[in-house]
Amino acid sequence: MLKKKLMLLNPFGSMGADSEEILPEGGLGAVAAHAGVGKTALLVQLALNAMIRGKKVLHISLQDPVNKVSIWYHELFNNIVQQLGITGSHEIWEEILPNRFIMTFKVEGFNVPKLKERLTDLMAQNIFLPQIVIIDGLNFDEDVRETVTALQALAGEHALRLWFTVHVHRHEEPAIEEMPSRLATMADFFEVVIKLLPEDGVTCIKPLKVKSAFPPLFLDPATMLIRQQS
Amino acid sequence: MNHNEKKVRNIGISAHIDSGKTTLTERILFYTKRIHAIHDVKGKDGVGATMDSMELEKERGITIASAATFCEWLDHEINIIDTPGHVDFTIEVERSLRVLDGAILVLCSVGGVQSQSITVDQQMKRYKVPCLAFINKCDRSGANPERVIAQLKSRLGHNAVALQLPIGLEGDFEGVVDLITFQAYYFEGESGEKVRIAEVPEAMRSETQAKREALIDTVSLYSDELTEALLAEEEITVEMIRAALRKGTLARQITPVLMGSAYKNKAVQPLLDAVTWFLPCPSDVENVALDRNNNEEPVVLANDPGKPLVALAFKLEDGQYGQLTYIRVYQGCLAKGATIVNARTGKKVKVGRLVRMHADQMEEIDAIPSGYIGALFGIECASGDTFVSPEVNYTMLSMFVPKPVISLAIAPKDNKSEINMSKALNRFTKEDPTFHSYVDGETNETIIEGMGELHLEVYVERMRREYGAEVTTGNPRVAYRETITQRADFNYTHRKQTGGAGQYGRVAGYVEPTADEDFVFENKVFGGAIPTQFIAAVEKGFRSCLAKGPKLEFPVTGIKVVINDGASHAVDSSDIAFQAAARGAFREGYMKAKPVIQEPIMKVVVETPTEFQGASMGLLNQRRGMIVGAQDEGVMTVIEAQVPLSEMFGFSTILRSATQGKAQFTMEFDHYRLVPQSIAEKIAEEAAARKKSAA
Repeated sequence: MLKKKLMLLNPFGSMGADSEEILPEGGLGAVAAHAGVGKTALLVQLALNAMIRGKKVLHISLQDPVNKVSIWYHELFNNIVQQLGITGSHEIWEEILPNRFIMTFKVEGFNVPKLKERLTDLMAQNIFLPQIVIIDGLNFDEDVRETVTALQALAGEHALRLWFTVHVHRHEEPAIEEMPSRLATMADFFEVVIKLLPEDGVTCIKPLKVKSAFPPLFLDPATMLIRQQS
Repeated sequence: MNHNEKKVRNIGISAHIDSGKTTLTERILFYTKRIHAIHDVKGKDGVGATMDSMELEKERGITIASAATFCEWLDHEINIIDTPGHVDFTIEVERSLRVLDGAILVLCSVGGVQSQSITVDQQMKRYKVPCLAFINKCDRSGANPERVIAQLKSRLGHNAVALQLPIGLEGDFEGVVDLITFQAYYFEGESGEKVRIAEVPEAMRSETQAKREALIDTVSLYSDELTEALLAEEEITVEMIRAALRKGTLARQITPVLMGSAYKNKAVQPLLDAVTWFLPCPSDVENVALDRNNNEEPVVLANDPGKPLVALAFKLEDGQYGQLTYIRVYQGCLAKGATIVNARTGKKVKVGRLVRMHADQMEEIDAIPSGYIGALFGIECASGDTFVSPEVNYTMLSMFVPKPVISLAIAPKDNKSEINMSKALNRFTKEDPTFHSYVDGETNETIIEGMGELHLEVYVERMRREYGAEVTTGNPRVAYRETITQRADFNYTHRKQTGGAGQYGRVAGYVEPTADEDFVFENKVFGGAIPTQFIAAVEKGFRSCLAKGPKLEFPVTGIKVVINDGASHAVDSSDIAFQAAARGAFREGYMKAKPVIQEPIMKVVVETPTEFQGASMGLLNQRRGMIVGAQDEGVMTVIEAQVPLSEMFGFSTILRSATQGKAQFTMEFDHYRLVPQSIAEKIAEEAAARKKSAA
């Protein structure tokens, strides 16, 4: 019952129910923003939403340790249930937690063959079969074309939906139509590109490239939760 | 006793079992003239090395508990705290790491960096303890200090810098060349006590020169003075190099490496020199206490004898004169005759005899100023207690003590063992707040409780060794709990009319789950349906049901009882009648409220070489474990999982065999979680069988 309420009232509903509909199987999505604007917060909510629906999420962080990533999930989950006034959410948390797996690498230690090896370890032993993968902290300053190509192949092979965070530098001028220049050359890889833009004390969620349009959304600066613009 | 705390070193000697830690300590005590003869560890002469004061350690040649001993070298006072090498004695390790400021990491020149060295190193990293490395056993065949240094870099990630070169190796090991002073050191005399300083052997000159330059290059990062001298091509003095090395070591950015052979009495003295030069004095280290008046907020302590006292009792020992309490003073001064407060109990005590310890011998002193370690007599306290001046309320360790999650029935084999067992239990429960013991009222068995299988095993072993108490043990039992999952009403009337005064009481209301507390009782009875004087009896009746839940006789937690109606009788109602009515009401409401069983879930952290991470995850998964995450740290991977305690029995053996002994794990209680249906049925069967056998 509570879970149903969570599903129905989830702010993500307005963004196309869940990531499933935003991103097709084997597709790549990117969330671009300056540091500290809320890329991780947005993707963690996307992940929580999928977890509540019973989807398996693999969260790969190239910057934070496992504990810190866990805290993101816990905090945002608590904020969501608090906002919805749901009590007794502890059981739901316990229930959805097995739907998440956190993997962390040092940025320099991350490469696709290694990830493939890890995924095989998990899948062959039936420990965890991810459906959505979040890669937080891949350095797009460097030439990652090869890495992204390999990841795209991996996504196709295992029918994964792959999300990236893209760190945009403040001094950087966007290429065309707000598209961050480092993404512009690689735009073909991505089915969905979302940009977070701080405006008037709130962070607007701007779709730069989407399958189906969604109503104007923003991140509440206090809770970092996705809200519809009123 | 001089009070120059700049010349105090509180150090630990950490090592893999069998890398020669105790022998090294013994030699240190010999050269610092604290002992006058040298004994072997596994005492052929029946005496045993001086530091191993515990019987079990003497026999096995391992060190479990930490004793502190004092010695002097180059006008410095060195307190050596013997640290346990085993990861599972977490409380013990934590305490000794709180007490020491720096450490010597002893490595075997043949075995190199082994898995346990990795664990020890990780603990030191966690507590930010600066260290020196000593590559021991350079006289053994297969000795290769260079390889060990490479391992220190690759496996432990240390910026290891050799300060010496060996003169000969294996059977030809004669001494060392000091790269800083450009001199050769030979150790002569019966026990290597005569240090002969000579010129560097001709054949080693060019190598020494090259290594010296590399050393200066590395340490120049930590000293502007040295860098400037290098650039100006001025003379680099020994003091400059030492100052830079000290700076790098204190910041944990350099690990100076020394080498020798403690057993062959070679190159222990230069290690002691290095301790005085490179390891921190108490004020180089920041110590933090928790302020209990301010929600355990951390407070940085000042290493100042004039400030209010803050001291930690880190080890208790039963001596012939009563309890001896080892104590480290972090702030203020612990003086004879002063009144101090035990922060845990709030009790004031007067300081009696103060002594400085050298393993089994002692020296009377008048005061222990901040930064120093000593021992007190005649103070009743538990290990880990903080002593403070009456004006502050700080604690060095958090007061939070987790509840035990595992229990074991023990029975003495004979009469003598029975007396000794109770002595031992009395001591252990004082030493370790996570260890409990009690006598089960129904079965009359003595039950010990603790935080894990090994935790209890160690105590059973210590009972045998130290107290001569032979005990038999039952199977370890997991501390399951019961709770309810939904609200349910009750309305129970207790009526008894069997001659004499009757009993009458009716209690109505509901039970519901509560997450915050173990038990909440709320009285919403209006209009005197239950007379006020019986409300306390009703609550008592409900409380009496908590110890053994109606479902499977496990303790009940997380339940709220609300009473809102009832009835009484002018003559037949009594406290006893209402207690009985409450018990009946509890059973009635409880069984309707869908009771469930919960089990302790442990946070398990496995550190494994990356090639075994898949296998390790598989093992955790098979044990109903939920893997939270895997952290890739280059050669090692750290896997964090939540696993039911009941599935963790024997895990260490299985993990070892699956990873060639290269993976380690730590385990601590995390939370209670609902037991899955199939497992709950199994538990119910076991409980029924146990009940049958008890009857």
